[in-house]
Amino acid sequence: MSLEKKDEFDHNAWLKRKDLTPIETTFLMSLIYLDQRLRIVDYLEVLETLYYRVNLQMPKSHTEQYNLDNKFWYWYPLYSLGFFSIVAYIIAAATGALLGFYYTPSTAGDPSMAYNSVVAITTDLNFGFYLRSLHRWSAQFMTAAVFLHMIRVYFTGAYKEPRELNWILGIVLISLTLVFGYTGYLLPWNQLAFWAGQIGVEMALAVPIVGEWGAQLVFGGFTLGEATIVRMYILHVFVLPFVVTALIALHVGIVWMQGIAEPH
Amino acid sequence: MSDEETKPDVQSGGSGAVAPDDETPSWMERKTRSTGLSRLTYEYFERARREDQDLRTESDYVERDVLGFPTWPHEVIRNLAITMFFSGVILLIAATVPPHLGAPANPSKTPEVILPDWYLYWSFGLLKLNPLNPGLEILGGDKIISDQLYGVLANVVVVSAVAVVPFLNKGSARRPVEQPFWAAIGVGGFVFSITIAAIAVQNLIPLSLALQLNLAFVLPIVSGIITYAVLKTMREGYMYDLNRRYYRLRPPK
Repeated sequence: MSLEKKDEFDHNAWLKRKDLTPIETTFLMSLIYLDQRLRIVDYLEVLETLYYRVNLQMPKSHTEQYNLDNKFWYWYPLYSLGFFSIVAYIIAAATGALLGFYYTPSTAGDPSMAYNSVVAITTDLNFGFYLRSLHRWSAQFMTAAVFLHMIRVYFTGAYKEPRELNWILGIVLISLTLVFGYTGYLLPWNQLAFWAGQIGVEMALAVPIVGEWGAQLVFGGFTLGEATIVRMYILHVFVLPFVVTALIALHVGIVWMQGIAEPH
Repeated sequence: MSDEETKPDVQSGGSGAVAPDDETPSWMERKTRSTGLSRLTYEYFERARREDQDLRTESDYVERDVLGFPTWPHEVIRNLAITMFFSGVILLIAATVPPHLGAPANPSKTPEVILPDWYLYWSFGLLKLNPLNPGLEILGGDKIISDQLYGVLANVVVVSAVAVVPFLNKGSARRPVEQPFWAAIGVGGFVFSITIAAIAVQNLIPLSLALQLNLAFVLPIVSGIITYAVLKTMREGYMYDLNRRYYRLRPPK
């Protein structure tokens, strides 16, 4: 009795049986080597399906296949909200990167340098007002789309059994979107921003045990100042973009794997 | 290959400097050799696939009876059309309605209206629920938790209530008509998010605070009951269609 595998998929035995030329042996050995490590067969299948996808007619949609009439199409715009919020997020990211070149996160001076830099962006910079407008409106649209997306998912039962994880992830994402909006709201350092920040500090301080620690971590102290605006800026342009982008990728990846929940 | 093996050994003749004709592969032989490689690739991948198939049938993983339809290409291509339209709307609105930049921050002057952006109104409204924070007689009317903490806790409660929904409501029903109760909960929650947002801007609404607080909790319940009644009524007619064309595909559990 030998310890060697004798099953049907003993590729080495198969190789021996085939009695190949050196070229073929080398080729096949390297193919097997690569396939066992990189699963080339899977990618080949992807290429195959891609080939059929581009060369054949698009397959029947779910509604056509199951003869669900046009009830689905009637609601269809609501099914694109998730994708739309991602596009709005991308627009906000692009315009935000440009705004970041000209914005100064500092409360020094009166009015503050932050406020002055926003004024400079809107009045001195070419297309600056449009840039800021675009950033703000895409953020508004993204938040609205995310809320409506959640409502759509609720009323079509798309959160149900195998998709609980994605629902929770969605709640985390919507919360982070709100934090994104809040930190951005504080950056121009106008009256609304300052007093919204004040409410934030008071909320944090109201929480027992971790409240004071949290206020110092997020707002950099119990009164608003230089530390607050720098922290909001770093949260807004450094921490949140990475975290939210990663979570969006995960969220969409899970949707991709599980498929869009059947509408009816 | 097997053909070459059966050939007699031809190396005995000739100088060896130039390969004898018999040994030089002809065009046809080159052709079969290169097609042989692709054939070999094909054979190997067929084996690998069968191996995967066998592993799958051997495994105790149970494929679940959950229907979904592909994100690609259906969903993404359809989404692109609508998304492009609304991206255009963003560009247009950004051009026509520029944002307002108010007065610079002034810590010594509290403005009359303190408001976050519209999407935080619901949360801000929950912070203003302090009239509902119960006072205890035993403590001489003192409140057991501070008004601020009460508001923060209200936020936590609302968010966690949304989070537990998929753990309470399971099964294959998708349409609101199939589950009037959960649709009623959803409509109630949606109306509550609006009424609670109205509490955030209560000083701009010409109603007394007590009336507004009552409305904030009564309106969602009323709209929930109406939803429930309407969907229950719709169910009968709807279920006929559902049974006919849909439950045949996915029998209810």
